[in-house]
Amino acid sequence: MALRGKPLFIVLAGALFLLLAVPHPVMATQPHGDPEGIVVHQLSHVFFVFSMAILIYWLHNRKLSVQPGWREIRYAAFFLILWSTGAFIAHLLDEQLGWISVSRMDTWTMHVEPSRGGVALAWLYYIVKLDHLLCVPALFFLYRGLGRLSSQKDSGGEPDADAKREDPA
Amino acid sequence: MTITWIPIITVDVLGAILMIIFSVLAIRYAWRLNRRDPDNLVWTFLLWVCVCLAGFAISRSAGHILKQMLFVAGHGAVWAHIRPVSGSLNTLLLIIVAAVTLFFNGAWHIYQEIFSERKMLQETQSELMELNRTLENRVQERTEALLKHEKQMAQTDRLASIGQLSSGIAHEINNPLGVIQGYTQLLLRGEKPDSQKQQDLQVILKHARNCKAIVEDLLHFARRSAPEKSEINIHEVIDDVLVFIRHRAKTEKIHIETRYDEKVIPMYMDEKKIKQVLVNLVMNARHAVGDNGSITISTGYDDQERQVMVSVADDGYGIDVKDLDRIFDPFFTTKPTGEGTGLGLAVSYGIIKNHGGEIRVSSEPGKGSVFTLILPVNTAGNS
Ligand SMILES: Nc1ncnc2c1ncn2[C@@H]1O[C@H](COP(=O)(O)OP(=O)(O)O)[C@@H](O)[C@H]1O
Ligand SMILES: [Mg+2]
Repeated sequence: MALRGKPLFIVLAGALFLLLAVPHPVMATQPHGDPEGIVVHQLSHVFFVFSMAILIYWLHNRKLSVQPGWREIRYAAFFLILWSTGAFIAHLLDEQLGWISVSRMDTWTMHVEPSRGGVALAWLYYIVKLDHLLCVPALFFLYRGLGRLSSQKDSGGEPDADAKREDPA
Repeated sequence: MTITWIPIITVDVLGAILMIIFSVLAIRYAWRLNRRDPDNLVWTFLLWVCVCLAGFAISRSAGHILKQMLFVAGHGAVWAHIRPVSGSLNTLLLIIVAAVTLFFNGAWHIYQEIFSERKMLQETQSELMELNRTLENRVQERTEALLKHEKQMAQTDRLASIGQLSSGIAHEINNPLGVIQGYTQLLLRGEKPDSQKQQDLQVILKHARNCKAIVEDLLHFARRSAPEKSEINIHEVIDDVLVFIRHRAKTEKIHIETRYDEKVIPMYMDEKKIKQVLVNLVMNARHAVGDNGSITISTGYDDQERQVMVSVADDGYGIDVKDLDRIFDPFFTTKPTGEGTGLGLAVSYGIIKNHGGEIRVSSEPGKGSVFTLILPVNTAGNS
């Protein structure tokens, strides 16, 4: 895994810097309320990615990720990272950078207008808007993982006993 | 780019419903794990993560569903009012999930510590219990040993005082007996053979001799005479004794078996006295088995303790538990007058003690008895 120790923090700090350094054009077609709102929301996405990444790292470090149950929980964390990143990008594109403006044509049609990057950016936006494709699998894995952990306990096995013995800490 | 809303709406609505379902199911499992093992902080942690995620999923999904419904229904403007609240709530819950997740490590460490401490406690406890048990056992062993020792001491004590008393008496009686014997013999010389008087004197002489034999036994018991030691082979001694007994007592129907341990080495002791002990033991066994039975004489050698064991076992009537303590007492006998004097074992005891050995007895009434001599191996040099 690439997320190990200090490099992780450097990446996160960089992302934060980028996020905060981005100018906030208020030229979007839709009103967004106070800019703090979106900044806080974006920060929460970054924080969320950070803690999920740490969770993956810990599970890996404790050698838990090889056990059924915890393995699925790790997948869940991974999908949650993808989802959070997607959501972050979507917010970035339409609300923060304003590179994308969306307007509803009618009930079933929408118009996606990229001010930069052309149709590719519009497609990217369209795809990241389908964020449930990432967070539903994440919760599904969480549910599966917990199910396995609880059935392991049913069969009398201590799910974390082995991992504890291997724990280097 | 103009494009249809339908995939986004469908995925949003369906996904929102699935999010709620899965997060609630996850809570159920986490709850169950937590219930089953409430001490494990890791499950508590997972439960919290699930609850927060579910809160987030519900808040967000409700927002999405409501939004899509409002737009489809043409009330898009209403959403503008709800949106800030829904969005803020989502942000808040997202932060909480992330924050709780960061506790995983802590939960893990704490649980590990609790777990190892509990294990240590359990180990210490079982160790303590084990120690306690061995202690109890030891106390019991010691108590038993002490009781046995006390009993032995009492026996030795009693035998010693009886020995002193009887040897005093024996000494006093020995001289008059000698005088009686001497004068009777003198008188006999002047009598015609087969006269009435001569026969009467013979009776007196015979009884005086019997008395002398008993007195001598008593003196033996009191260890008045020092053993005259020589190197002997115990197996030869036993064989001699058996020949002697076969001559004297009717033993045709009695099966006498010997089991000799070839490892037994020659010993330095008083042959006559050891013979006397063996005669006593075998005669007692012979009496115990009655007309037919079996007697087994076996020997053994303990190299480490440098001891020779000689045991005389019979399958006779055995010894009553109440008598076991008294059979070594002088004049203790269960036999009718004339058949037993009660001195055999007392004398044997004295002799064996004098050789630095021990006599042990074990018996089951009705089944038989075993008398065991334990003799230290003395070589000529260190006796
Ligand atoms: N082998 C034996 N089996 C049963 N009882 C025995 C045996 N040896 C000794 N005893 C008991 O011990 C008593 C004492 O024995 P001992 O001192 O030899 O005297 P005695 O043979 O003259 O009675 C006996 O009267 C008998 O009751
Ligand atoms: Mg006897």
